[in-house]
Amino acid sequence: MLKYLAKRIGRSLITLVIILTIVFCLLRLMPIEGYFPNYEKMTPQQIQVGLEEMGLTDPLPVQIVRFFKDLLHGDLGTSRIYRANVAVTEILADKVPVSIKLGVFSMIVSLLIGIPMGALMARYKYRFFDKLGTMFIVCIQAIPAAVYFLYIQLYGTQILNVGLLFDINNPKYWILPVLSMSLNNIAFYGMWLRRYMVDESNKDYVKLAKAKGVSEGGVMFKHIFRNAFVPLAQYIPTAFLNTVIGSIYIESLYSVPGMGGLLVTVIKKHDNTMVQGIVLLYACVGVLGLMLGDVLMVILDPRISLGKKEGDR
Amino acid sequence: MAEKMLTVENLEIKFDLRGKKLNAIRGISLDLYKGEILAIVGESGSGKSVFTKSFMGLLEQNGKVTDGTIMYYGCDDGVPVELTSLKKEKEWYKIRGHEIAMIMQDPMTSLNPLKTIGAQIMEAVLLHQHLNRAEAKAKTLEYLKDVGIQDPERRFEQYPHEFSGGMRQRVVIAIAIACNPQILICDEPTTALDVTIQAQILDLIKELRHKYKLSVILITHDLGVVANIADRVAVMYAGDIVEIGTSEDIFYDPRHPYTWALLSSLPQIGVKGENLFSIPGTPPNLFTEVKGDAFAPRNPKALKIDFIERPPYFEVSPTHKARTWLLDPRAPKVDPPEVVEKIRNGGLI
Repeated sequence: MLKYLAKRIGRSLITLVIILTIVFCLLRLMPIEGYFPNYEKMTPQQIQVGLEEMGLTDPLPVQIVRFFKDLLHGDLGTSRIYRANVAVTEILADKVPVSIKLGVFSMIVSLLIGIPMGALMARYKYRFFDKLGTMFIVCIQAIPAAVYFLYIQLYGTQILNVGLLFDINNPKYWILPVLSMSLNNIAFYGMWLRRYMVDESNKDYVKLAKAKGVSEGGVMFKHIFRNAFVPLAQYIPTAFLNTVIGSIYIESLYSVPGMGGLLVTVIKKHDNTMVQGIVLLYACVGVLGLMLGDVLMVILDPRISLGKKEGDR
Repeated sequence: MAEKMLTVENLEIKFDLRGKKLNAIRGISLDLYKGEILAIVGESGSGKSVFTKSFMGLLEQNGKVTDGTIMYYGCDDGVPVELTSLKKEKEWYKIRGHEIAMIMQDPMTSLNPLKTIGAQIMEAVLLHQHLNRAEAKAKTLEYLKDVGIQDPERRFEQYPHEFSGGMRQRVVIAIAIACNPQILICDEPTTALDVTIQAQILDLIKELRHKYKLSVILITHDLGVVANIADRVAVMYAGDIVEIGTSEDIFYDPRHPYTWALLSSLPQIGVKGENLFSIPGTPPNLFTEVKGDAFAPRNPKALKIDFIERPPYFEVSPTHKARTWLLDPRAPKVDPPEVVEKIRNGGLI
């Protein structure tokens, strides 16, 4: 297991380096306007001097090596346009925690509601609670999020007696964004857990457990639940890490100063160093999420052994 | 004869399938005695599994006992329980496992893949025997040894995927035994196993029956298995027991045409160039009411009355009865096929 992890981390690092190199090279092909906030007013000489200062006239391999060297020191470069002459790390350090906090709260809420909901729906299949849950899931899936987000904001702020816009220091203001963000995930976890549990409950080992004399509730939670949870578990680390990326719609709706939509904004503004920094973040999240997902699967399911070759028994 | 464990009287089970009624079990009566191995044979779809599942309240949701009673006499307090009157799941908990345990057909799928086999056996011990965890574990190790699993301490911690099919069936048997039941239902316990393993599993069942004083109901469609192990045999056809008797009765003196046909379909050693016997036709459609003897349409020697009225049980001997008009004193003499003679002379099995 440890050996496997070491290997996996090594491979992940290589993947990251490749992603960053490709993005770095592609960004060098972008127009040079993106390095100067006041490009139109500058003379060709000024531009040339500016580029040389930033080291952009050096050969590409030299630039790449320098980029990775800086990266090792935790330096992602400086934003040129989005917030001129502020370090990218500093900008991200402001925004990332807000998005993560919002996202993690929402994940916790979704898991705490979605998982029991799915389990209870499977337990009382075709009964009232199951139908109610199905109705909720269908509504969430069928109505565009933008519509119910607006209603939640409109009526929720009245009910809670809070302003329309986010106040990071007032816990009451966190409720509505977290709730809005959770709804979709609650439906997701509820739907899949119910489905996996219903699938499992038709298996032979469940019949044997019943024949053993295990009570219905015992069968559900001691036998079925864990088996049904394994396929879901794989996605949970990714979901947690993805909270870094933030939610474009919710954050703009409540004016949350988070990461939501930041990548799109900086691409539009040709702020190349910012793009690099954010892509690095996203790539890390993706690679790490997959890895943790696999590790979690191994912990939960003894049949999966990552250390050995496939087909080994 | 020995003490009765279970009496089934005139049991009828119907399934609701898309608005239509399927008559799965059509009026079966049966006694199970203490310590015996009763084999139930019959082709697929004859209702063998459904019949025994009803003893444990494990019928699918659309299946219902519509008539008849099942009485169970093995409870510790000696009070007979009418199993057919148990309605709620909760009432079944004291029967399932505790009184009647079951071994299923496919050991590859009947164990929970995420729990160690130790935990799965121990779950049964903890449920049905009032022991603490340490005692239960010791007991579990004992059961593992009993079912012939070497090195039980190490095996206890292993998961089902680390066991072969035969070993898994041994674990399933250990689970059933760990419930400490009176009756053990084995639903085709060897069907999914390698032929070389089958005999071992049957021997194990035989051995455990003595050790734990079990009454065993063995469901199978393999007459070879039956000859090997059963004390009594019930032949099922289309949701009914058409003939029941001791193993000797059924193999050496079969009376029902269906039993004859079954015995004729046994592959015979040393006969070359002849097609294997197969019973013509298909079992009746159980969605419609079966008239007369259910086997009559497939029986070339059927009598006229076979198509009109359902035969009652005729007693051949105190242990042996069959549901066929051939046993009526008025019936013409119909000779059993030659295979019966062959078996009697020891030419087969």
